[in-house]
Parts: sequence; C-alpha cells; structure tokens
Amino acid sequence: MSLLEVKDLKTYFKTQEGTLKAVDGIDFMLEKGQAMGLAGESGCGKTTAALSIMKLLPANGYIAGGSINFMGQDMSKVTGDKLRAIRWRDISIIFQGAMNALNPVKRVGDQITEPILLHENVDEEVAKKRVQELFSLVGINPNRIREYPHEFSGGMRQRVMIAMALACRPKLVIADEPTTALDVMIQAQILQLMKSLQTELDLAMIIISHDLSVLAETCDLLSIMYAGKIVERSSAVEVFSNPQHPYTKGLIAAFPNIKGERKMPASIAGNPPNLINAPIGCRFAERCYMAQEICNAKEPPLIEVLPGHFAACHFVQPKG
Amino acid sequence: MAKDVISVSNLEVWFPVRRGFVESLTSKEQKWVKAVDGVSFDIKEREIFCLVGESGCGKTTTGKAILRLVEPTGGLVKYGGAGLTDALIKEAAHEAVKRKNMKKAEAEKDARAGFVEVRYLHKAKMKALRQKMQMIFQDPYESLNPKQSIYDIVAEPLIVNNLGASESERESRVRKALEDAGLRPPKDFMWRYPHEVSGGQRQRVGVAGALVLDPSFLVADEPVSMLDVSIRSEILKLMLDLREKKGLTYLFITHDLGVAYVFSDRIGIMYLGKIVELGPTEQVIKDPKHPYTKALISVVPKPDPRMKTEKIILKGERPDPAHIPPGCRFHPRCPFAMEVCKKKEPQPVSITDQHWVSCWLESGEAKQ
Repeated sequence: MSLLEVKDLKTYFKTQEGTLKAVDGIDFMLEKGQAMGLAGESGCGKTTAALSIMKLLPANGYIAGGSINFMGQDMSKVTGDKLRAIRWRDISIIFQGAMNALNPVKRVGDQITEPILLHENVDEEVAKKRVQELFSLVGINPNRIREYPHEFSGGMRQRVMIAMALACRPKLVIADEPTTALDVMIQAQILQLMKSLQTELDLAMIIISHDLSVLAETCDLLSIMYAGKIVERSSAVEVFSNPQHPYTKGLIAAFPNIKGERKMPASIAGNPPNLINAPIGCRFAERCYMAQEICNAKEPPLIEVLPGHFAACHFVQPKG
Repeated sequence: MAKDVISVSNLEVWFPVRRGFVESLTSKEQKWVKAVDGVSFDIKEREIFCLVGESGCGKTTTGKAILRLVEPTGGLVKYGGAGLTDALIKEAAHEAVKRKNMKKAEAEKDARAGFVEVRYLHKAKMKALRQKMQMIFQDPYESLNPKQSIYDIVAEPLIVNNLGASESERESRVRKALEDAGLRPPKDFMWRYPHEVSGGQRQRVGVAGALVLDPSFLVADEPVSMLDVSIRSEILKLMLDLREKKGLTYLFITHDLGVAYVFSDRIGIMYLGKIVELGPTEQVIKDPKHPYTKALISVVPKPDPRMKTEKIILKGERPDPAHIPPGCRFHPRCPFAMEVCKKKEPQPVSITDQHWVSCWLESGEAKQ
C-alpha cells in the first residue's frame, strides 16, 4: 500500500460570488521515500491541495469529495484529537515564506521543542537534545538554539523551519515554495539539504513550486496542475523529456536555459479561468495553441499515455 | 558608435552606522555601511545593461543612486540622453565645479559632449530631469496603491510634474501610455483597480506609470521576479518592444542569471558593493572568469533533470557590507583564495576589450 493515496480530491471554498472549486478532482500516489513535485501557476490550487492533506484549510474551505488515504486512514474524515495526533507527528509542513512563519518572541529552540513535547512522552532534556541533533542535521550550529528568529539570516531561518518540520520524525513533509524568497546561492544550499535529508531519512515529500527548474532538481515524480486539475503526471525525467500536455510544454518552454541557446523563452498568453464558473470543456482550451471545437465542449480525461505517464488532453493518444 | 546615456564612475553610497551616545564619546571613528563601494560602468543608447548579484549586494541601491532616489556619497553619475537643455548642461557643469566634484576642464569637456553631472543638480532641476529617467519597481502587488484606479496611478506622475494643461490632455497621455504598455484597449483598464487585474497586467500598469512621462532611460528593478514564469517573458518582450519603438535604454537589475542571459546586452556581476566582472552577456555566461560568477552560473537550476551539472555551492551567506573583508572582498567564500587575496584588493584586468574581471587569478602578477 502506498503511503499516501489521494483519490478524486475536491476542495471548495465558499465565497460571496459562489463556490470556488480550487481543487476539482485530483489523484496521485506517493510511496515512502519518494519526492513529488506539484507545479503550476499561482492560483492553480497546488497549495490548497497540500493543505487539504493536513486539513489546514481556512474557515470557508472544505473537502467536498474524494479521499485522502494516509497510512490506512482517510484524512478527509479524521477530526479532533485524532487529527491533532497525526499533524506534525506523521505529516509536517514547511510553510511558504519561512521568514514570517516563526514566532519572533520565542527562542527558536523552544519553538521546535514544543511539538516534540506535545506529541511524545519525553522530558525537556531529551527534547532539547533532539533539537540539537536536528540543528546539526540541517547545518546550523547547535549552540544557536537559544537565539531568536531575528538573529538568523533568511537561509538560516529556512533551515530552522526544516528542522522544525523534522522534529517528530514525520513520514511525510510538505514543502510549500521552500526556496521562493531566497537567493540563488541559498536556494542551491537548501535544495541540496532537502535532497540529502530525503535520502538519509527515507522521507516522503511533496514540494510545491511554480518554478519547474527547482522541482527538476529535487523530485522523483512530477504533477502539473492547471486550474484545479492535474493535467499531467509522471516521473520527473519523463515529464521533462517527453511532455505530452500543451500546458506542460508551454511551462517548460517558458524557462530561460542558461546552458542552451540565447533566445527569449516563449510565454503562455492569457490568464487561467475563473474557478467559480469553470468552463465545461478543457480548462486550458482558451490559452491553448492546439485548441479545437471538442476542447470547449468536452473535458478531456486523464489517460495513461505510456506506463505511469498520465496526461489530460484530447490530442494525446495512448502509445505502445 | 552609439552615445553613452549613463556613465557612472566610482559611485559610492555609504550609510552611516548610528552610534549610541556612549559609543560616540568612546570611539571617534564613524562606521559606514558601504552599500555601493566604487562602481563604474557606462550604458550606451538603446542598450540593456544588467546588474546581477545576491540580495544585499547593492544592485538596487546603485539603480536608485543613479536616479538620486538615494543620495550618492561619492563618485560621478553623468546623464547624456534626451531632454537636456543647454541651460541645464551649463548649470550642472557650474555646480559640479563649484562643489569641487570635477575639474573645470573636465566639466567643460562633458558639457560640450552633452553630459550632465546629476549628483549636484539642484532638487527642482533633478525633478525635471527625472522625467527622462524613470524606474519600474519590483513588486506590482505592493508598488501600486490599491485605493487608486489605474487611471489615477498612471496620471499621478503627470500631476506631480505639472504636465498636461487640462484633464483631457492628461487623459490622452494616460491612454497612450496604457496602450504602449500593452493594456489594450485602454478604456477597459483605466477605471479598474489593481486587484481587478492579473499580476502581469499589474506590472504593465507599473510600466505605463513610467512611460507616461516619456522617459529615455529606465531603471527596471527585478520587474519580473514576482511574476509567474509563464508570463515573465511577456513583460520582457514588452520591454524589448519599447526599446525598438521608443529607443529606450535600460538598467536592468536582477538576481536571476537566466533572465539576464536572454534579455541583456551586457552584464555586470556585483558582489558586496563592487562590480567584480563585466562584459558582453554571451561572454560572461559562456566564459566566466571570476570564481563568484562561475559559482552563480553553476547554481542556476536547469529546467531538465537529465542535465546534472557540477555545482559550486558557496559556503555561508553574503558578508555584511558594514564589515567588508580586507583584500579581495570575496576571499572568505572563494574556493581558490590565495595569500595575496587576503591582503590586496585586485584591480580590473581586461580579458577582451569589453570584458574585464577583478580577480588575482586573472591578473598577470599572480599568474607569473
């Protein structure tokens, strides 16, 4: 059995204008020790999908359908104490903009000890020792546990966040844009750290980013989301070497490649559709260079093009 | 050969470190944060010059100092683009000589060549000149006033500068600017508010706000870093188009070497307040000389998992511009640092006639 199995997940938000279907039927699976990238433009529902797994949705958001099977239990139904026991012990999250996710008036060490003391029956000494181990694991001097967040630089704060996410030895870590606010050099340091932790601790990871190149370097699997749907999903190498969906092709072409020819990358004109009144056909049709009549009339199913490689487009056929 | 629009030499922006009362009694020495510490470059007409570096290296401060949005503390900034009058040139030369910033002969030579030294220009004159030197800001989510309509945002520079005799004249200029920025038709956008348009369109509003004054030189500070990858190149293409149509000259500031590679004509790599390598884009990216440039290029993520390249990941984070290391300022993080690097600051060495680097590895003395 997979560690995480998401089936037909639907997460909606109630708004004044109507129901916003932020995530509208997505499936994916994740095994122990695997890293999956979730890519897409802002507003495509990638963060919402991840927050649904931890059930950290805002008050007006709710899971409208589908199942999230995590280690044998359906997370969409778990509530109360049971849910609290799973959060952070089994699934933890590295938030976007780690700079602001730390409590500025508490010592970083205390902030990390807190979940350990909450979840495990250990005394403070043991917890403190664990924090020191975690600090050296993520490359911070263990003597710094009594410092405050403002005494750390951006990259170091991100490392603190990673240490915090690992505090209770979770099985699954969700990283929401872990390097977006960081410099290229620090970004490379953090990505290298995440990659080594993943193999060292046999962690499953979901990395959310709009930057495909970041995911290309860290992930085994890759899912491309567009307007609440997964439009393509396969291994990272396969998605990059053999993209099927026009949106995936567009996203890959939008990157300037510093090793390649010096030319202006292509852009994808237009904007994603409004998810309160999503189009009935293919959601990408309006921006797609291949769009035909059928695209506006009928929604394409996610079909298996090659073994393990799925794409949702009317113009891709199963091969082999 | 094309004329220089901007010529910066030895530009310095130092901020004083505030001292406590006791400290001011006990230590005589004033400490400085040397955000920009001796930067020189020229930008030719219709050229895109790109400053690349990590955050805090002083690239934004350099851009702002050229427009005098922060006051430079040393060096010269000369502007030779459109919109100069003889009177202004004369006055600037006079000021520069009076403030002992330039020798008389030099000032007269510049004046004849049609350059204005902007550093000591009177505030009111600078304001007028700034119509020709505009800035595009980084974050279109924060730089636009959410309570103003797009029309008001774009019209504000006209009001501030007392341009446009009547409301109708102003409106026609706003329309033209919106159209130039690719917000077509303008009437569909003019009365909307920033939150009602997409991120890419917001940045176009930012561009329109700069264009409405009909500038000839633009400082673009990370104009695409907050945007989704899929729409970045739209904004870059718009900027290229404007260069073709209006003959604009750009100083482009970014931390993203990938963008710099496809967009700029020449690149300057900045580290801790100084340019360490400068040259034509293709040469700097394909044949980098400075260890810092090499490291920066090696860590740019490649959009392809099959391309695994050797990465030079520098240890630590950038040092503090209040405590610049002696000798070569990069030596504490440099994998190739030698004895000489700790003691003496390297001087620029030419690689080709347009490409130079400040590094002891490249200078003849150390090589021998």
